[in-house]
Amino acid sequence: MNTVLRIAGVTKRFGAAAAVDGVTLDVRENEFLALLGASGCGKTTLLRIMAGLEQPDAGQVFIDGKDVTATPPYARPVNMMFQSYALFPHMTVAANIAFGLKQDGLQGDALAARVKEALGAVELDGLGERKPHQLSGGQRQRVALARCIAKRPRVLLLDEPMAALDKHLRERTQMELKALRARLGITFIVVTHDQDEAMAMADRVAVMEAGRVLQIDTPLALYERPANARVARFFGNINLWTSSSKTMALRPERIRISHAPLTDGVSGTIENVVYLGTATTCFVKTAAGQTLRVSVPHAEGAQAFNQGDAVHLSWPASAVMELPE
Amino acid sequence: MQLRRPLPIVALAVKIGYEVMGFIVEGDTMIRRHFCLAVAACAALISVSVHAAEEKVLNLYIWSDYLAPDTIANFTKKTGIKVNVDVFDSSETLEAKLLAGKSGYDVVVPNGPILKRFIAADVLRTLDKSKLPHLNTQDPAITARAAGADAGNAHSIIYMWGTSGIGYNVAKVKAALGKDAPVDSWKLILDPANAAKLSKCKLYVFDAASDIFEFTLSYMGKDPHSTVAKDYEDAGALWQKVRPSITKFHNSEHISALANGDICVATGYSGDIFQARDRAEEAKKGVEIAYSIPQEGAVMWFDFMAIPKDAPHPDAAHAFLDYILMPEVIGPITNEVYYANANTKAKPFTEKEVLEDETVYPGPDMMKKLFPENTPAQDIERLRTRIWNRVKSGN
Amino acid sequence: MTRRAAVLALPWLWAALFLLLPLALVLKISFAEAQVSVPPYSDFFERLDGAIVGVKTTFANYQLLFSDSLYVRAYFSSSWIAFVSTLLTLLLGYPMAYAIARAPAQRRNLLLVLIILPFWTSFLVRIYAWMGLLRPTGIINTALQSLGMIDAPLQLLNTSGAVYLGIVYAYLPFMVLPLYARLEKLDGALLEAAADLGAKPWQVFLHVTLPLSLPGVLAGCLLVFIPAVGEFVIPDLLGGADTLMIGKVLWAEFFSNRDWPMSAAVTMVLLVVLVAPIMLFQALQPRTDQRP
Repeated sequence: MNTVLRIAGVTKRFGAAAAVDGVTLDVRENEFLALLGASGCGKTTLLRIMAGLEQPDAGQVFIDGKDVTATPPYARPVNMMFQSYALFPHMTVAANIAFGLKQDGLQGDALAARVKEALGAVELDGLGERKPHQLSGGQRQRVALARCIAKRPRVLLLDEPMAALDKHLRERTQMELKALRARLGITFIVVTHDQDEAMAMADRVAVMEAGRVLQIDTPLALYERPANARVARFFGNINLWTSSSKTMALRPERIRISHAPLTDGVSGTIENVVYLGTATTCFVKTAAGQTLRVSVPHAEGAQAFNQGDAVHLSWPASAVMELPE
Repeated sequence: MQLRRPLPIVALAVKIGYEVMGFIVEGDTMIRRHFCLAVAACAALISVSVHAAEEKVLNLYIWSDYLAPDTIANFTKKTGIKVNVDVFDSSETLEAKLLAGKSGYDVVVPNGPILKRFIAADVLRTLDKSKLPHLNTQDPAITARAAGADAGNAHSIIYMWGTSGIGYNVAKVKAALGKDAPVDSWKLILDPANAAKLSKCKLYVFDAASDIFEFTLSYMGKDPHSTVAKDYEDAGALWQKVRPSITKFHNSEHISALANGDICVATGYSGDIFQARDRAEEAKKGVEIAYSIPQEGAVMWFDFMAIPKDAPHPDAAHAFLDYILMPEVIGPITNEVYYANANTKAKPFTEKEVLEDETVYPGPDMMKKLFPENTPAQDIERLRTRIWNRVKSGN
Repeated sequence: MTRRAAVLALPWLWAALFLLLPLALVLKISFAEAQVSVPPYSDFFERLDGAIVGVKTTFANYQLLFSDSLYVRAYFSSSWIAFVSTLLTLLLGYPMAYAIARAPAQRRNLLLVLIILPFWTSFLVRIYAWMGLLRPTGIINTALQSLGMIDAPLQLLNTSGAVYLGIVYAYLPFMVLPLYARLEKLDGALLEAAADLGAKPWQVFLHVTLPLSLPGVLAGCLLVFIPAVGEFVIPDLLGGADTLMIGKVLWAEFFSNRDWPMSAAVTMVLLVVLVAPIMLFQALQPRTDQRP
């Protein structure tokens, strides 16, 4: 697959602290990439460097093989959807969308057609004459999206696109974004701090911490084969412990739990039970004094486990991963 | 916001304020005055308005720098009356304040036309001549000339008098018009050819119509107090020809402009030009300013002292007027302010240099050519104002 | 009366006492005739044995005001001078306000103080200082002459240019402060979004910054224009024989002519002249301020 955008050894410092620290990253044509990390990890700075809104202190940015490091934002074939949406409050929805197209020299019927098309793509037909403050939050997000995709950029950058949405809207919007990407054939790069969101939408996820990319891979691979303990920890819900100065990891759903004794099992007591919809998580304190998280699907009789029960746990040896720190 | 019937506490507050501010802002009478008014207003608010038998206080409203340095101190020493001096910077301010009513002043210093209007508007007290034993020092030859404003000292005494003529920069006028420049004639300004030559080194004239028409009519050979509308139209037409050469119409800016050497000719009151002359001398930049009373005749103006009808301290006011009438008081004031007084007995107290200065005390020939300033009837006044406004706005 | 009503009544009481009442008095005087008396105008009421039996008004002042070209020209000339000065103030003030709003936060306060600093000295003193600079023997002319750039002093003082200079100088802070307040609030993301969508810096300014700062522009322009129309001190001290402004006419009517009714009429008409731009401002305000 072609590389559409390449980040090569990019570093950006604010004062003494490096927000982005020697990042190298290839973004493939037509993929949906998520930059995932806690706040302050440098993901938004990296996105802004791609857009040209920040100048890196070192390294280069290539788009379609061309060095655009020194190219100002208005001359780059990328567009960014801002976290606050940054809709122009003094313009109508249609004028907001037309703004970027006019900079490309479009006018008259061609301009009107493209605006209409973009409004249609985000299902906002007929709302072109509204002002941004007359729209709901979800509608505003769609206008911001339409304003970007109308330009037909090589890469669309989305900064925390769901941050301002209600929870119930998020999942739907995630699916819609995914479908939209597929339909338009544009590369999407989304910045998010929510691993579920990243997993749900992205083809690949780049996990970032302290200005560096820890791992970049498909959601499945990240989950199943985290490159190190920090990545594993980021996805949470994993049991980690140290054994002879090595970090061991074990997924909660790989543990079997039973009231009856098991072969090669360890015994323990249920300290806490948390009901989570599709499964129940039991926190079991083993005889060795370690607390393990165990996920029990409801289909497998999770209701039978209560706080204070004496239980037995077992897992296949292959389920335990040894991770570097 | 006026100082009315100041009780001792108010007077004291004003005095303290005046001294404190005087210490801080030496010589800035404007700031001190505002401060005093503010202090007075505050004090008046907190004090109860009880009017006892007349207090030993006098509120004087006078031009700035118009007394000798010890005039007030000596009066207070002599009579025990404290004097609050408030100063104005234009006759118009004085007139507007008094006509608005209840000014709170005991003695004011109006010029002739304003005095005449004050009398007509009935804002002045008739003088009680029994309280003015020195009234006989007023020169009958001078009071006769001021009779148009106030005959027989009924409402006023003459404080000072002077003329209204031409101030000029000696070197600049010579450069512009040669050594035979007609500096002793209104031709210097009113001959358009001269004015055009002077415009390069700049020419200021009076801003107010009341200062313009009398000398213009006199220059044209007409009665300076003409009641014929056509005369005023003709005077206006003459000024229209001179108008393009005039840099500015203003009644006070010419003082510093002359002193700085920025302009070469200005119409002005004698005392103002003398002030410019003195300032130029002090600056020692080689600027020499002179004053002349033009041959064709000029306005002889008077400053009077009078007592407003609602003066809170009329007895103190009479005492002050009588004090001013004393030769040994007025003589030193003339030495200080360089204006002529109307006192027949003041010569021994007046410096020879001043007495012999013909621009202060004009000789008999010139005296014949001077005419008092006069307030015309309302219709003529409106007419000349309109004509002058048209001249000023170049239309 | 509830406390809330009392608080709400306060601004109305203030306006009635210190705005409407004096205005009514001025209006009343404008219908009187000038006369030599205390106060120097005719009584508004007709009285018979102390009882008011009617009102006595004249429209002569207004008739004269509109028939004598002097007043009409003075209004136009004042409005024109105020308009040009406002425009110049805007052209100078906008970049200043923009620069301050974009300066690092810790330096903004210092810059704002520098803008306001001249207010700490007397207005009159500052205008006199300009006279000292502009005089034929003043600092500017002396410097240019000693550098050999000019032979004779330039006529700087007593010109229309000096009046514009004085007004721009004196009123600049009134332009900069509302503009700054507006520009400082401007969301930086909007400018980035515009750039991201392909707008060059000048296009960003023209299509985003300028329209969004328009309420600040209007407020600043009104704060400069309205006092500039009635300005008296600056044209009096810096202007020349050709400078005709309504403030000077008003002064002459009131002080030189002692015609209080005429000056009251001039004031009332001036008020109408000034209310027009305020109404325009009110009309434009809701359309430009679209932030929820």
